[in-house]
Amino acid sequence: MSGVSVDLPLFAAVLSVMAIVAAYMVIRIKDLVYASVTLAVLGSLTAALLAVVGFGIIGAYLVLVYVGAAVMFIIISVSMIGPQREETREPFRGLVAAAAVTTLILVVVFALSLYRLFVVPAPIQASQAAAGALHEYLPVLALIFVGQAATVVEAIAIAKRGERK
Amino acid sequence: MIILDSFVGGILLVTSAIIIGIGAYGLTASSNLLRQLLSVEVMFNGLLLLVIPILAGSSYLATYFGIIAISVVSVEVIVVVSILIAFLRQYRSLSSSDLEESEV
Repeated sequence: MSGVSVDLPLFAAVLSVMAIVAAYMVIRIKDLVYASVTLAVLGSLTAALLAVVGFGIIGAYLVLVYVGAAVMFIIISVSMIGPQREETREPFRGLVAAAAVTTLILVVVFALSLYRLFVVPAPIQASQAAAGALHEYLPVLALIFVGQAATVVEAIAIAKRGERK
Repeated sequence: MIILDSFVGGILLVTSAIIIGIGAYGLTASSNLLRQLLSVEVMFNGLLLLVIPILAGSSYLATYFGIIAISVVSVEVIVVVSILIAFLRQYRSLSSSDLEESEV
């Protein structure tokens, strides 16, 4: 069976353009529910880009945990909050900040030649990565697990605290 | 160690810089706290695209860093949304100007 041939640079370019458009839509769409849904699309596109350059495990984790849990939590919360009053915008301040941040990143990356560190990652097996993580980063993983469990309790406590009697 | 194709590397670099810039725009231009949270998440996605390929010299380091960063951000999102819900119930508003006036 012959596989489908995909032009990797072209595919990455298309995904990048889609990711930029999705990022722009997140801040432009007035309805926050649809903006949150677009954030989920952006997360999926980021995962796809990472998978294309060789980080399949991170891409899968991003879709499962970030898009599947965190962004879905935002979408459901925003849906339950309901429509908000019109928000004020200061586009000039935003443009200055965006230009400053983008320029700073590009200057740092080119000044330190960080782009030379962009390498094709060596292929790794999920089982090897899991075994390595358990061997080297067990305390960190335990902290993350405890932190995530505590977060559920914390989130409920914080949300209930503001309830008016 | 194989250097990532310069075209693909350039695409990743420019894309991440633009996405972070778009996030910075949303963060500073909008007064809605939920919109600001969404903008921070946009910046996180851009940052992930920038940092992960840089750490790719060690595949395991990049993978572990990515997993830990995504886990921490997911936790942060849940706590921030909860704080915003509590704020909304208390002040009936999600505007950052109301946050300044209420001296929270």
